[in-house]
Amino acid sequence: MNSQFTPAVLSELRQIVGQRGLITAANQLQTYECDGLTAFRVPPAAVVLPESTEQVQKILRVCHRERIPFVARGSGTGLSGGALPTEGSIVISLSRMNRILNIDIPNQQIVVQPGVINSNVTAAVSPQGYFYAPDPSSQTVCSIGGNIAENAGGAHCLKYGFTVTHVLEMTVVLPDGDIVTLGSKLPNAAGYDLAGVFIGSEGTLGVATEMTLRIMRKPETVQVILAAFNTISDAAQSVSDVIASGQLPAAMEIMDRLSIEAAELSVHPNYPACEALLLIELDGPQAEVDLQMAVVIDICKKNGAWETRLAVDENARFLVWKGRKAAFAAAGRLSPNYIVQDGVIPRTALPVVLEKLNAMAAAENLRVTNVFHAGDGNLHPIILYDRSNPGEEERAIDLSLRILDICVEAGGSITGEHGVGREKQCSMSYMFADPDLETMQRLRRAFDPLNLSNPDKLFPTPRFCGERSRGAYAPHPLETSGIAEVF
Amino acid sequence: MISASNAALHTAAEYLALVAGGEFVSLEVDGVIYVLPKNTQQISTILEYATKNGLTVDPRGGGTKQRWGGGTAPHIRLCLSRLNRVLDHSWQDLTCTVQAGCTWSSLQQNLAKHGQFVALDPLFGDRGTVGGILATNDSGALRHRYGSLRDLVIGMTLVLPDGTIARTGGRVVKNVAGYDLCKLLTGSMGTLAIITEANFRLHPLPQYSRTFTVTASNAARLASLLAAIRGSHLLVQSLQLRRHKTDARLEICLSSDTAACQDALLEEMVRVEGLALIEADGASCLEREALFADGSTVIRVSTLPTNTCAFADELQRVFPKIDVVSISQGIGLHDVSLRGSPNEIMIAISQMRAEQKTAATVLHCGPGVTVPAFTVPTPVMSVMQAIKRNFDPKGVLGPGKFFANA
Repeated sequence: MNSQFTPAVLSELRQIVGQRGLITAANQLQTYECDGLTAFRVPPAAVVLPESTEQVQKILRVCHRERIPFVARGSGTGLSGGALPTEGSIVISLSRMNRILNIDIPNQQIVVQPGVINSNVTAAVSPQGYFYAPDPSSQTVCSIGGNIAENAGGAHCLKYGFTVTHVLEMTVVLPDGDIVTLGSKLPNAAGYDLAGVFIGSEGTLGVATEMTLRIMRKPETVQVILAAFNTISDAAQSVSDVIASGQLPAAMEIMDRLSIEAAELSVHPNYPACEALLLIELDGPQAEVDLQMAVVIDICKKNGAWETRLAVDENARFLVWKGRKAAFAAAGRLSPNYIVQDGVIPRTALPVVLEKLNAMAAAENLRVTNVFHAGDGNLHPIILYDRSNPGEEERAIDLSLRILDICVEAGGSITGEHGVGREKQCSMSYMFADPDLETMQRLRRAFDPLNLSNPDKLFPTPRFCGERSRGAYAPHPLETSGIAEVF
Repeated sequence: MISASNAALHTAAEYLALVAGGEFVSLEVDGVIYVLPKNTQQISTILEYATKNGLTVDPRGGGTKQRWGGGTAPHIRLCLSRLNRVLDHSWQDLTCTVQAGCTWSSLQQNLAKHGQFVALDPLFGDRGTVGGILATNDSGALRHRYGSLRDLVIGMTLVLPDGTIARTGGRVVKNVAGYDLCKLLTGSMGTLAIITEANFRLHPLPQYSRTFTVTASNAARLASLLAAIRGSHLLVQSLQLRRHKTDARLEICLSSDTAACQDALLEEMVRVEGLALIEADGASCLEREALFADGSTVIRVSTLPTNTCAFADELQRVFPKIDVVSISQGIGLHDVSLRGSPNEIMIAISQMRAEQKTAATVLHCGPGVTVPAFTVPTPVMSVMQAIKRNFDPKGVLGPGKFFANA
């Protein structure tokens, strides 16, 4: 236990959050020792469960005075170890701050607390014909606060943008305990765009305790087309041609043969058996979507789609998406262990990157299956392996690292939506040069000069990056139980 | 302002001539050195020199928004006009990379070759540059549909005052690696670093576009129509309200395929309100530029979307001694031109700021008008000042800009 973490400090925290709001028993702390990246585990010194902004402020004042690091946590579904405790840190779990505070339909806004579950936001405004656009596939369990920390995406961010596009205003407790309002319910906030840099900062700049979100009018109609191709390249070319034709679909996804097979075994979406399945969703006014869909189908056929299947009614669309979203968890049916990656490449680099990736996998004698958000070039290669074969896990980890490297070399990114956290902090120095990282640190020091807010994350550190390694993916308990999918 | 002797300026001009070439440096009669560097590396060298020698620097693009954010004359005016190329247009990836000194219209002309554009219609795009528009975070009527610059810029190359060259973001739209410093730099008025390159996400140019207007004696008469349009399924590209002394005019741009017959839907909505819909022969963004004519003071005010019409009317009622023209976006963003006695204008601005429900940023001060560019609560200002200190500890960039007393 951290030397600053005295009984007096504990009792002070207890006074702030009450007996029910403080966890110190070792067996209960276990729940908080990891997030969705279960290969990394560190038990926190204590967990506090505040119920108001004022309680968070008091907690951070204590942390600041005693120099105690803290890690804010939402639902713990993150995949990069963002909510992983730091040794001697406390975890601030925001799950009890889960109320929707105000709904303002005429201004298309909703005010919520950070522990509110993503899909509950849409549920709250759905009767009035509105929805909250960011839709990470863990949306039935992940929290808005966590979404803000990671700047969560989802399949539909091609058209609608990421969390940062949809958060108007936040109440934030800074690492020294000051309470500030970042952003604005009004269209323009004065001065530097602090809300813009806070979102996606992975909990390193403070704790958001209340947020105003933009809600959008539900589209009049939604249509999904499934197209079966003989090669991934043909499917990828169709994606490029759709873009070139001036359409902006709500989502464009590609699945390869292995992931289609896995999805079939798991949730039986009745996909055509093919080498590459392209899924395109269009939404908008009915007449407009009808016209666009005709163009899209034509493009797919010209690129060699031998089957196109249109899903118009809600049940058919649900089944299509269920298969797509289950593909990842379904990888467990193909192999006892697997690692998922989250690289991004320029869309046009797809055929070249896939070729390299397959050659690398073949050289290691490992199978890799691919599911990707083709519209925005976000790849989720899944490396299949068996831990019981000596040395295979190490080779799989190494391969997953090198896949990120080729994404960077193709002009892309090491993460599109899962975040850097602990998992990829050592890869940051492959994507960014030292001056780039040092410039980011200038921002961090302005918010958190004592480095208390989720320290040891996001940036490469000698302590963690002396030996470049990364853990294998182990499914989150929520995922294995079928409650949540991961992408 | 840091004082510099004449001799120091002459020495600086000589050094800058070595860096950028003699023909690209001039010491003007106003005591400001104008330098036109060729590339990012030269900018780094110049900034490093300025920092070491206690000289202040203000970047300049097309000079169309030079006074936005206030500030005093710098020692060195760093002009980006030679960094004017579109470096890459990956049209199949819907992205582009462009140098900061490229004019907005030149960038858009390049992108239009593949039917794409950066979905933003800033002021003075014919002369205004990419860097200047980013630094001032300008936006126009297209914001209604596509959002503001922060939603469109995906990567940048920056030069910090100490000469550090840093890159942030990248060339892909989806990217959450590290802090998104593009957000911080957008709208920072050149006070933190000089932007030398930017990457944008692009949108397809709308294939159809029809503009309509509805006129009434005041904005309140148009309020329920505006609300109905905002809550409808119409594909609205822009939704603007122009209010001056005698009338109010709502301008609606639809970008739907004509076969979808959305104009008929709009016509019906207008008829229900007892108003008349007239088709116009094009968008009227030029009118927003007219707000800046004749020494007007121009402010940008935010309100809730539902207050758009009420605010536009109130401007006319509350400040009878000032000549007020406003162009408002349906999302609640108002560009307001104020003409009259400087004293009355300053009173009007502080009165608006005192009302907690509006945020007013001064874009351009007319003659005799002196007011802070913006006001924010103290704890937020402390964070902004800490960022400024960490990026620019010696106060080299944008002297007196942005922070009234920094």
